[in-house]
Amino acid sequence: MTCGHCGSANPCTPVIHVVDDDEAMRHSLAFLLKSLGHPVECYPSAEAFLLAQPPTGPGCLVLDMRMPGMSGLDLQNALNRAGSTLGVVFISGHGDIPMVVRAMRQGAVDFLEKPFNDQRLLDLVAEALERAAGACAEAHTARLLSQRQESLTPRERDVMALVVLGKPNKVIAHELDISMKTVEAHRAHVMEKMEAGSVADLTRMLMTLQGKP
Amino acid sequence: MRVLLILSVLLGWSAVVSGAEAPSLRIGVLAFRGAEMAESEWEPTLAYLRGQLPQRHVVIVPLDLDGLTTAVKSGSLDFVITNPGHYVELEAAFGVTRIASLSGSASATTLPAMVGSAVVVRAERTDLNRLSDLRGSRLAAVSPEAFGGFRVVWRELAEIGIAPFSDTAGLQFTGFPMEAVAEAVAEGKADAGILRFCLLEQMEAEGRITPGLLRVLGGIPSHGCLSSTRLYPDWPFARLAATPEALAKQVAIALLAMPEGDGYAWTVPADYQPVHDLFRALKIGPYAYLRHPSARQLLRDYWPWLVMALLGVVWWLVHVARVEYLVRRRTAELRSAHAEARLRREEMEHGARLALLGEMASSLAHEISQPLAAIANYASGCQRRLTSHTDPEGVTEGVGLIAAQAERAAGIVKRIRAFARKRSPVPQNLDANGPLVEAVELFQTVAARHGVGVSLDLGQGLPPVLADRLRIEQVVLNLLQNAADAMSKSEPRHIAVSSSAVAEGVEIRVADTGPGLSPEARARLFEPFFTTKPDGLGLGLSLSRTMIEAQGGRLWAEDAPGGGAVFRFTLPVTTGPTEIP
Repeated sequence: MTCGHCGSANPCTPVIHVVDDDEAMRHSLAFLLKSLGHPVECYPSAEAFLLAQPPTGPGCLVLDMRMPGMSGLDLQNALNRAGSTLGVVFISGHGDIPMVVRAMRQGAVDFLEKPFNDQRLLDLVAEALERAAGACAEAHTARLLSQRQESLTPRERDVMALVVLGKPNKVIAHELDISMKTVEAHRAHVMEKMEAGSVADLTRMLMTLQGKP
Repeated sequence: MRVLLILSVLLGWSAVVSGAEAPSLRIGVLAFRGAEMAESEWEPTLAYLRGQLPQRHVVIVPLDLDGLTTAVKSGSLDFVITNPGHYVELEAAFGVTRIASLSGSASATTLPAMVGSAVVVRAERTDLNRLSDLRGSRLAAVSPEAFGGFRVVWRELAEIGIAPFSDTAGLQFTGFPMEAVAEAVAEGKADAGILRFCLLEQMEAEGRITPGLLRVLGGIPSHGCLSSTRLYPDWPFARLAATPEALAKQVAIALLAMPEGDGYAWTVPADYQPVHDLFRALKIGPYAYLRHPSARQLLRDYWPWLVMALLGVVWWLVHVARVEYLVRRRTAELRSAHAEARLRREEMEHGARLALLGEMASSLAHEISQPLAAIANYASGCQRRLTSHTDPEGVTEGVGLIAAQAERAAGIVKRIRAFARKRSPVPQNLDANGPLVEAVELFQTVAARHGVGVSLDLGQGLPPVLADRLRIEQVVLNLLQNAADAMSKSEPRHIAVSSSAVAEGVEIRVADTGPGLSPEARARLFEPFFTTKPDGLGLGLSLSRTMIEAQGGRLWAEDAPGGGAVFRFTLPVTTGPTEIP
């Protein structure tokens, strides 16, 4: 079994990252997590993880708290500073409570105290992946919408803003001081470029773009 | 004496021949003054008996002591006339019975009624006055068996503590006739002579010796003679056991009725008890057996000595038993003390090993939990793959990995158990690198947790050493633990373990990159209970040194060349047949 990137063209295919200094632990975790059906990447240390290409896609990081050199907590810190969205599941030893508290404060998904229940790890990882995948998909949509939006001309944007407000073409023509015919043409372009089927569709897209639910 | 015997036999034979028609009656007599003298002396009695027993041919057979004894033994005599001493012997040996005793005579000079002895010396010997003066003198006597001629005096001498055979300057026996004794003294061949009581007077009367030439020692006048001794009953006339009763009676009656003639008369048999007393006192004749004393007599004579000897033996036995007991007890005590000391030492070494494991416990627990956790992960992974029927190759791989991890865990447990085991040290030929590798492997997790790197540089082709594997491992592990503890606050942290062959055998070094040894620590490093660790016992190094020295090696500490401390110890090369080319 290898821990190579088994990714696909889909930018939202999640990847599981395992960072543990103990080879047997690392290898066995990878074996276990692979059964979730996702690609698994292994790193023997925090430094090795950082040196590797920073992950772009969605994913989950299974991180050993105690490691020689850079600790799990340090890595989480570094990732946070870099704006990573990776969900982190910590594996801690007995009596690492203060570190666990810090990790949770720094936004960890959860922690598992050794010896841990494998099913719980799988559940946690699956959940984190799901969340990450969802977020990825959302971000992907938003990115698409903004690309579409950017393809609009300034006049088309003006028309779209008024369309989503539910204003009829006549009012739009009047407000923009352009002809009805022109409004209709712009409106058709907007609907086409934004790939919207209806005004309601377009409205949802705009709300997404503006960060509103 | 032999001539005398032959003579007597011839005489007897001639008597038988001459009296062929009448049965003979043979009377043996002790011829102490010679055969001729005897025949003349006993002639009156013989003549009388011939007259009384006409139907018998009465013959006198003069014999010396041996001859008479032989004749009695062979039964060639009917009656015996002999001295009281000889009679007692014959009585005891052959059942001779006295039927009459000489009763003395009117002319006492010829024959007294009693037997005694006179010890004669030359009259001018003024230095000899009493019997006790005979000690150291030359003494002459007729025969050692003679009664009046020796034994009577012997008894007297014995009673005053003189043994005639050893306390005199020479005891000469002249043999019969007894006059020879008187002649020996007269001629100065002997200082003193023993004569039958009255013989001297008789000889003087007969003119056979110059009167006054000899005198009697300690002379006690008795029966007209001088005696040097007490007196005993006179000669008996005795019948042999085989002599017919009627004949004996006839002869007895005749003797008792014999008128006092020329100095001889017979009376009822005397009591010969005094003679028995003499024999018993001298332990001779019938009492010779007294010379071989009986146990009872010994007991009676020597009981205080016997008791003391017995007590001595008892004391000695008790002493020997006590010594034996004490030696055994002491030996047992020593043995048990030795065994106990060894047990203590083994317990201490064992305790130290357990303490060492205790220090490493959390690291070791972690090391064991790692493969177990890995096994759990592989197992879950396999289970999920089996449930979802995906990745069958993964299941096969996972099962193999589980086995490998289980083996790893078992290995760790085995190593710990071997180290924690309680056992007696068994020195054997071994490669010193073996326990070295073992110790470093056991320590690896601890080192990792402490962030300490351990390097191992094993010398190749080391000679085998005679040592206990576990002890070496314990010492190395102890040094590793100390090194790791010493480097807790220093950077970098590295322990270099190496082995090499040296003149003394094999040397093993454990060097760290810590702060090194302070002068105080260096001075007291190997003292028991000296420690620089907050929770240390201070026994590790002192025990390590004891263990290495028990293997015949040395353990010491130095400054490492690049800072830090280096602990070095040696192990002697196996000395044995394998080493001799």
